[in-house]
Amino acid sequence: MKIRILLFVLCMNFSVFAQEQKMSAAEISTFKTSVEKETKTIKSLKTDFIQYKHLSFLSKDIETSGKMYFKSPSLLNWQYTNPYQYSIIFKNNKVYINDQGKKSSINAGNSKMFEKINKLIVGSVSGNLFDDEEFSIEYFKNKEFYITKLTPKTATIKKYIKLVELYFPIGESTVSQVRLIEPSNDFTKIVFKNKQLNAKIDDAVFNH
Amino acid sequence: MMRFLIISSLFVFFISCKTYEITNATKIESSKKNFQNLYFSDSEKDYVYKANIEVYGKQLGGIFVAKKMNDTLHRAVLTTDFGNTLLDFEVSENSFKVNYSVDELNKKIVLNTLKDDFRLVFRQNHKVEEVFENQLHTIYKVNDGKRFNYLSENKSEQKLIQLIHASKTKEKVVIQFEGKNTTFAEKINIEHKNIKLKIELNQISN
Repeated sequence: MKIRILLFVLCMNFSVFAQEQKMSAAEISTFKTSVEKETKTIKSLKTDFIQYKHLSFLSKDIETSGKMYFKSPSLLNWQYTNPYQYSIIFKNNKVYINDQGKKSSINAGNSKMFEKINKLIVGSVSGNLFDDEEFSIEYFKNKEFYITKLTPKTATIKKYIKLVELYFPIGESTVSQVRLIEPSNDFTKIVFKNKQLNAKIDDAVFNH
Repeated sequence: MMRFLIISSLFVFFISCKTYEITNATKIESSKKNFQNLYFSDSEKDYVYKANIEVYGKQLGGIFVAKKMNDTLHRAVLTTDFGNTLLDFEVSENSFKVNYSVDELNKKIVLNTLKDDFRLVFRQNHKVEEVFENQLHTIYKVNDGKRFNYLSENKSEQKLIQLIHASKTKEKVVIQFEGKNTTFAEKINIEHKNIKLKIELNQISN
């Protein structure tokens, strides 16, 4: 009997742990201010990441990993190093792709889409996507995280993404985990590790 | 002059209508009635590949995954390197269902080509009509509707290394496999001969 009670209590705890609550208006305001303040001080950002692609019919998630470098205002290198080499660099309105040694570039000067992708990637890591007119935002919290849930407003994005979830560990003002949920409910989860704000980044990192 | 033109055009005509044959191979007697391609036969396994697609000079990279869902059905998904799903389909010998496709790929010609290609890649049982051999390979000829498939197996390890899909006169699609063993291909190349399309799949150790 004791064991059953213990199990019951344990299960209770887990469900409380996993439970998300909506944040109050005051909490949202404080949270937004702290993230916006932190983002303003970001001159550079580098981080390792692990990406998990979840497809419901697979027995395990597909795992890829690499590094991401950002230098204000618009230099970005998103680089996969494992299990293969692939990098995408945003620089001077151009997008440079190096797919296992095969190099290509796209002129993004007149491409709004790339501007949006750039903003979305940097925003996803820093967390500052509050003013984005593409999404409507809801705020939640659980014991570990503040969670912002971004629902796309436009039909174009809705076709690809149902929801973006950004996880901010409580006490931190940048994101540690992103989930991009597709219309099918399959999702991509990206976990950031060893994040360094305003560390020195050599410009050569953004060379193609 | 006229005569030369007629003869040479007839010559070209006959050359181009020449029945497709495998070069340097001789027909042999064999009791083998069924050839099995086991590269996508394990329903417990996730088959995960890095994909590079070259179509009319344009490059498209991403991740390709396939899974055997039951005895007759395979499901396959192509995503970008960032993980966004581009295409999700299910294919069997007599069915094809698209679960999801981005607009850019949602075209009949694209989907039909991929359906035909992956039906060939995933097909496990091939009913052997004729058997040929050369020094290194045993080649199984299989009827495929009005067309034919030629499956080459290397003699040393009994691994399927090539599948040629041909009409009576021409190669249409050449699929090459590099097998880690007889049940797992670590590299697959699909090359079309009548359209400029190449698909290269390299296994990702996952």
